[in-house]
Amino acid sequence: MKHEEREVVIELKNAWKIFGEQADQAMQAVKSEGIGKAEVLDKYGAVVGIADCSFNVRRGEIFCIMGLSGSGKSTLVRHVNRLIEPTSGEIYLLGEDVMKLSTTALREMRAKRIGMVFQHMALLPHRSVRDNVAYPLEIRGESKSRRWDVSQHSLSLVGLDGFEDRFPRELSGGMQQRVGLARALASDPDVLLMDEPFSALDPLIRRQLQDQFMALSEQLHKTTLFITHDLDEAIRLGTRIAIMKDGRIVQIGTPEEIVTNPADDYVRDFVQNISKLKLVFAHTIQVPINEYKPQEGDDLSRSPRVSQDVDLDYLIDVAVKTNQPTVTTDDDGKDVGVVSKDRLLQGIRDGK
Amino acid sequence: MAEKETLSTVEILEEIPEVDISDSVRDFAGQNGDYYVREFKKIQSSQSGYCWTFNIASAAFGPLWATARGLWGLFWIFAVCEMVLLVMLGSGLWSDLGADKFERAERLQANYETMLERAATAREAGDEEGAQSFEKRSENLVRAREKALAEGAALQAGGTNLMIIAIVGLIILKVFEGCSANIAYERQYSRWRGDRTVRSDFNWAIGALGVAIVSFVYIVTLLRFTTSNPSELITDFPIGNQYYLAIASWIDYWFDLASSNFAFLFQGVSRGIRIILDGVETLLVGTPWPVVMAIIVIFAYRSAGARVAVFTAAALAYIAVLGYWEKSMATVALLGTASFLCVAIGIPLGVLFARNQRAFNFGRPVLDLMQTLPSFVYLIPIIAFFGTGKPPGILASMIFGLPPIVRLTTLGLRQVPKDVVEAARAFGATNTQILRNIEIPLATPSIMAGVNQTILMCLSMVVIAALIDAKGLGYDVLVALQYAAKGQGILAGVAILFCAIVIDRVIQGKFKDTEKGG
Repeated sequence: MKHEEREVVIELKNAWKIFGEQADQAMQAVKSEGIGKAEVLDKYGAVVGIADCSFNVRRGEIFCIMGLSGSGKSTLVRHVNRLIEPTSGEIYLLGEDVMKLSTTALREMRAKRIGMVFQHMALLPHRSVRDNVAYPLEIRGESKSRRWDVSQHSLSLVGLDGFEDRFPRELSGGMQQRVGLARALASDPDVLLMDEPFSALDPLIRRQLQDQFMALSEQLHKTTLFITHDLDEAIRLGTRIAIMKDGRIVQIGTPEEIVTNPADDYVRDFVQNISKLKLVFAHTIQVPINEYKPQEGDDLSRSPRVSQDVDLDYLIDVAVKTNQPTVTTDDDGKDVGVVSKDRLLQGIRDGK
Repeated sequence: MAEKETLSTVEILEEIPEVDISDSVRDFAGQNGDYYVREFKKIQSSQSGYCWTFNIASAAFGPLWATARGLWGLFWIFAVCEMVLLVMLGSGLWSDLGADKFERAERLQANYETMLERAATAREAGDEEGAQSFEKRSENLVRAREKALAEGAALQAGGTNLMIIAIVGLIILKVFEGCSANIAYERQYSRWRGDRTVRSDFNWAIGALGVAIVSFVYIVTLLRFTTSNPSELITDFPIGNQYYLAIASWIDYWFDLASSNFAFLFQGVSRGIRIILDGVETLLVGTPWPVVMAIIVIFAYRSAGARVAVFTAAALAYIAVLGYWEKSMATVALLGTASFLCVAIGIPLGVLFARNQRAFNFGRPVLDLMQTLPSFVYLIPIIAFFGTGKPPGILASMIFGLPPIVRLTTLGLRQVPKDVVEAARAFGATNTQILRNIEIPLATPSIMAGVNQTILMCLSMVVIAALIDAKGLGYDVLVALQYAAKGQGILAGVAILFCAIVIDRVIQGKFKDTEKGG
């Protein structure tokens, strides 16, 4: 089933967050007069955290929100479970209007439906790994034996068998964050909120955890809202990516859309140094076969044939073994396009 | 885009160019900007930060220059020094030093003349003996007069000396005023560069305020010290003590009213404390001493190790051998009850203060008051409302012992990492669950330090509590104090000290234990 057909699990509509004592007045002024961020600070002494953010996440998606520090991404993710109250806007989770939930219902939703992972792990230092993982269940009042069973299972999912009785401080950063992940998974939530979970880790460990998380995600199909400041990470993990700047979402799209078709200079600047090899596909760079002007020595009948859906990485492998341009075919095996070596090099650089 | 902005190439210069401060100094100084530009450059280029610079305006007007330039610290130094020297000068100049001596000499001279007259009259009357005695007396008067004259002259000369010292002092002060002005002003300029709220510019209005302060202070002070009979207006505060008595009796009235109308409340509190105290006392005093002693030593061993246990045993032996056993146990019961009540009240109060900023703002000055108010002061209302005996003694100890536990509980709770609390909230924890599962456990080291402090504070009150008949070891110290019985006093004092050390060690041992165990 394609993602577009699945049910929407998380939805934010026109969410605003303004910090400050005069937030409400500032909000009104923004709505009626359309004043900007600087004016809000100047007139009301209030800071715009997030501005007019709307997006939706469908079941099973990993939706990455990418932005630099201070762009409001951590604030945004805390709106989903109302750790931060929006100044205005609507939030829906699993079809329920989160803003209308009573305190008890909200707690219930946080305990059963949402798991959260934090940048600095936020483990309870005075409790063993097992009790940390089991804490969400303890809050829900589950029995001790059930808590032990679940935390054992959850820890095995993240590959931490045998560490149950250790304390967080005895573990490395990467292991601590795996405990954080196990804790988020313990209550078997529908939604995972991950607030820069791997940012505080060194690059090697980060990559390992990304791989582990992707494997887990394929297995568990959790709808995930993943916050990161690292575009590489967003592209590796994300089904779709939202790019934030100054509290606004400037572009939402699949990794390929973002890389090949950046919405503005800000995004373009970001994607410039991203490797396009796995993100750009033959159909994006191919020249239609009827428009192709053969060069000297070309003989398309001797050309290798590949599906037009292969990525550039694969195209390079094919191209280095021949002195002919590569011909691409559609699903029926019909020749549709040609990728010359020049075109391939250009595609590697520009992504189109 | 800010993140990608490339640095423009910087030209590498042969010589590092000078930083030009001229415009900003002119901005800062306002009047006479160019002068300060010159002087500041001189000061800044000297290596020690001190150099020869002389500000004529400051030398001439001293404190007035300092206020107009916004240098209040310098103003007070200048003004006080000048005033002292002016008082010296004034008393040398105007007040009649030695005047009373000269007056006396004149009186003596008059008496001498009368004596001589009498001697003459007596001689005329043929009374040679009487005449001789009058002459002898007149000779004594001459000697006394010469002595008075000499003293007067010495005082006058002293006045002149005073004047000379004052003048020399004033000259030195003026030189100092001239020299230090620019250096201090340059420092103010450096501060002003980072913080534009620092006073700058030459301000006539503030200068006028300086003139007003200086003239008022100088004139009144000079009047006081240089005239022989200064007006009462400046020597005595013009209001008498009629208010004092009125207010004191008004307070008496309200105290009496409150103690008679709310007697049931105060008695209730007393009775409540009494019940707890009786329980603890029976436990400590009623239980046979070998049992209590053994339990204390074992407890010390379990919580703080063998060394503390040996020390505890020795301390208890000292107490028992000198016959302080029962009194010590009574003291420990008193202090145990006080500490227990402090902890029972203080921890919830600390939680409230950590949660509620408004309550904290209200409570903090009250806590400060409880700790700074001399204990004798609050003994008065305690006696007025609760009378004397052990429960009031416990209440007095609690007033002193409550602040640390409240403060350290609040501090501990505030130091709990915000992200851990947020995580718990994200998993749906209620406020009570967060408090019980996260905040209290993580604040435990701080709270335990508070408990320890509270116990020791309460212990330090045992002697004062003995003043209102709370008995115990404190009473022995008190009696020894009254009769200057050194030996008794020191023995009882050491017994209190041992109680304190044992309690402190045992609790700290326990507390380290929990820290290690995690």
